[in-house]
Amino acid sequence: MNNITRRNTLQLISAGLIAGASYSMLPRKAAAAGSITVLNWQGYGTDEAWSIKAFQEATGIEVVHDYYSSEAEMLTKLRTNPGAYDLVILNAARCAQAMAEDLIAPIDYSKVPNISSVAENLRANENFNKDGKGYAVPWVWGLTALAMREGLPKADSYAVLGDAAYKGRVALQDDAVGVIAAAALLTGQDMNNPKDLDLVKETLKGFKQNVKLLWSTEDQWNKSFAAKEFDVAMYWSGGSVRSKRVSKLPVDFVVPKEGGIGWVDGLGIPVGAPNAEGAHAFANWMIDPKFYVEWATKAGAPASSNVAAMEALPADDLSRQIHKPEYIATMSIMSALPDDRREAFNNLWQEVKAFYAE
Amino acid sequence: MKQIGRIYLLVVLFFLYTPIIVMMAMGFNESQLYELPFTFSFRWYEALLGNKQLLTAGMNSIIIAIITSVLATSLGTLAATALARQTFRGKSLLQLLLLPPIAIPWLITGTAMLVFFYWSGIGRGMHALLIGHVALAIPYVVLVVGTGFKTIRADLEEAAMSLGSTPIHAFFSITLPLLFPSILGAALFAFAVSLDQFVISYFLATPGYSTLPVQIYSAIRKGFTPEINAISTLLLLGSMTVILIFARFAKPGDTSDKR
Amino acid sequence: MRSEPLLNEAVRGPSGPRKHRLIPSWVATTALLLPTYAWLTLAVLLPLLTMFVFSFMSATPMGKAPITFTIKHYRAFIDQPYLLNIGWTSLVIGFWTTLLCAIFGFLAAVALARATVGRMRETLLILILLPFWTNGLVRVFSWTMVLRENGFLDNVLHMVFADAASISFLYTRYAIVLGLVHGYLPYMILTCYIALVTIDDAIIEAAASLGARWWTILFRILIPMAAPGLISGAVLTFVPVIGSFMEPRILGGKVGVTMGTVIEDQFTQAFNWPLGAALSFTLLAVVLAIFATFSGVLRRGAAA
Repeated sequence: MNNITRRNTLQLISAGLIAGASYSMLPRKAAAAGSITVLNWQGYGTDEAWSIKAFQEATGIEVVHDYYSSEAEMLTKLRTNPGAYDLVILNAARCAQAMAEDLIAPIDYSKVPNISSVAENLRANENFNKDGKGYAVPWVWGLTALAMREGLPKADSYAVLGDAAYKGRVALQDDAVGVIAAAALLTGQDMNNPKDLDLVKETLKGFKQNVKLLWSTEDQWNKSFAAKEFDVAMYWSGGSVRSKRVSKLPVDFVVPKEGGIGWVDGLGIPVGAPNAEGAHAFANWMIDPKFYVEWATKAGAPASSNVAAMEALPADDLSRQIHKPEYIATMSIMSALPDDRREAFNNLWQEVKAFYAE
Repeated sequence: MKQIGRIYLLVVLFFLYTPIIVMMAMGFNESQLYELPFTFSFRWYEALLGNKQLLTAGMNSIIIAIITSVLATSLGTLAATALARQTFRGKSLLQLLLLPPIAIPWLITGTAMLVFFYWSGIGRGMHALLIGHVALAIPYVVLVVGTGFKTIRADLEEAAMSLGSTPIHAFFSITLPLLFPSILGAALFAFAVSLDQFVISYFLATPGYSTLPVQIYSAIRKGFTPEINAISTLLLLGSMTVILIFARFAKPGDTSDKR
Repeated sequence: MRSEPLLNEAVRGPSGPRKHRLIPSWVATTALLLPTYAWLTLAVLLPLLTMFVFSFMSATPMGKAPITFTIKHYRAFIDQPYLLNIGWTSLVIGFWTTLLCAIFGFLAAVALARATVGRMRETLLILILLPFWTNGLVRVFSWTMVLRENGFLDNVLHMVFADAASISFLYTRYAIVLGLVHGYLPYMILTCYIALVTIDDAIIEAAASLGARWWTILFRILIPMAAPGLISGAVLTFVPVIGSFMEPRILGGKVGVTMGTVIEDQFTQAFNWPLGAALSFTLLAVVLAIFATFSGVLRRGAAA
């Protein structure tokens, strides 16, 4: 009895609160006719103002954005907002998880004509496919490797991160998966499943004297680099193009002999998307050479998965020089991690960070 | 002695305003990466005028902060009154319950709200945003106003009542004026909590609806430009003007002669 | 509901008989408390309770992974001993921040209450609180520009001593504490000021005319008077500082590893809500224990 009363009271209170608060301000209808809602990082291609405008002129579809600030948050938003989003940008490593949980629906490639020139290697990536169906349109790819201040001798190995010549001049990415991948490659292991985690841990701990800071955003990277706080860092290929072109920073992107850490981002359509038709059209637009060339040359972008789009770039374009086509076949790509391995990675990185902080 | 006190206050003000001055200065600095040396430029203010998204977000933030401030201050003052003036068992527990919202990092509270609001059907949107903001501001208000109560002697009210005043009248004519500085301070803090609060807005706003902290928070991935400094400067100077004018025309000297 | 008989008892409570009671006391109490606590319960306490339940689960309960109940996340401090160091660092940072805020905030409140009057005092108080109407992230970020090598601090120094070495201390624990003190000082000033503003000049003048030295006035009159303010201020500082992650991350560089950042990583990177939640509730328990001990000591001190 007591329980029921209490629950009723609570419901009444909450109903009252909601009614009171929403009378004055009804939330905006997210999915008006002729619009799509995109879930992405802010400032990552889909929300370029000129492109949204051109897309609306071409198709009549308005593009609304919602942002996430971590991939974990992206999954949470998908789970807690069914039917709110039409298109979501997800990394291959996270796509498998979204697929397994039925958060995203199969892609109808007949509505994405540009798929014909997308690199087959990327389209067939196991993280994007399940039971013979594709669940994401490969959008862009890139590498995480080294970035060095111009004029310094170009390093040929991740070992430079521990080189005594760069004492206090190194910035690592504050990302467990990223740093462990670098240390795994350096010690000759599979970056997605290193067998000897202790060796990885010791390798990372060995960088302690050199590490000045841990960066987590491109913004932080740029500002610290501009303030000359470090000379060598782990960095994204696309980020280095933007830093050099937009921010005019003297930075060289270096892929060491152990290879870069490859990643692919895909465009997925959530289950129950109110405007899947529009989402397909926008996905096609996103891998169109015309959009890509403008994005890559105006803002600076990772490499398009569409080979035709890469070839449409001027031959001397920085992005084209950094993202060599052969990488598509040779680079290791970050892929989905089982929960226990992810937890082990994160605990390892916490321990290393605690060691750095001592 | 008074001179030393005033000089000390100036030093404290200087410390408090150091980053604010830097923030304002950098809004007029040419470099997108906040590089020194300083080169004067209006470029970011011009950019801001064309940035409708940022301006709307700034406006939204102010509206939410005002509503939050009013609601949280009223609710918090009510609760603080009961906690300070009434005796009942379970009071310590109620006071203890104010701590978790302050102690648990906002990120966790925000995630918890996102999940709970989804499960309970409250959902996302302006209403959810307000529910969250007000709730996070309430503990601050109760603690600040509660401190105010501790310094007012309850016997003043008793005296008024023994002279024939009703409890409610005694409260409004004696206690409330004495509490005024605490309530004002609490309201200013509730406003600040709301303006600072990005996590809740980030998780609970409808797609397309945005507040200034959300803009700042999502911009840190790509890089926030001095436009953010520009709008923060405008917001601060605007609110400073309004509130100082308000203070100028409010009844003067209330706090100094009432003991 | 449980509280009803308790409230009835309050009517017979020690507050004594009053004249002119129009409404019974428990009705008033309930009416005053219900809206606020209902709001708090719905918006924060129930969600946090949900999180508390999550902290006993084997995996984040939003996915498809099978969920079992476990207390392993509460064993984290045993299984991963390096967390103890991090936790200790957080407590030390919280302690120093609170202490510095208390000293500077108390003095500022005394100065406000004793050295200023009327409109000037109100204006100063508002000026002290207003910086906090800017976003915290922007403020912390501005500190990095002050503190970094060749930042504002170095520039000012070089204006005076052209050849001086850099005194930049960005990416140290001092920078973290500085940023935190800056962020929480106004709370302390406000609460101390509220406690001190009612002070009677006559008391201090009487004490002084009786030959009391300044330290007698400070320790016998001012600090006891400010005590409620110091305590609320300490709560409003220490409690959130322990879990803060923005200041350590941005100002601390590689030394900016605190419980706050560990917890944040569980939510943003590791997607391990149960562990993150368990760590924050452990932290909450530690904070409550510290305050319980502290208030016990205070009470004993008062009784003696």
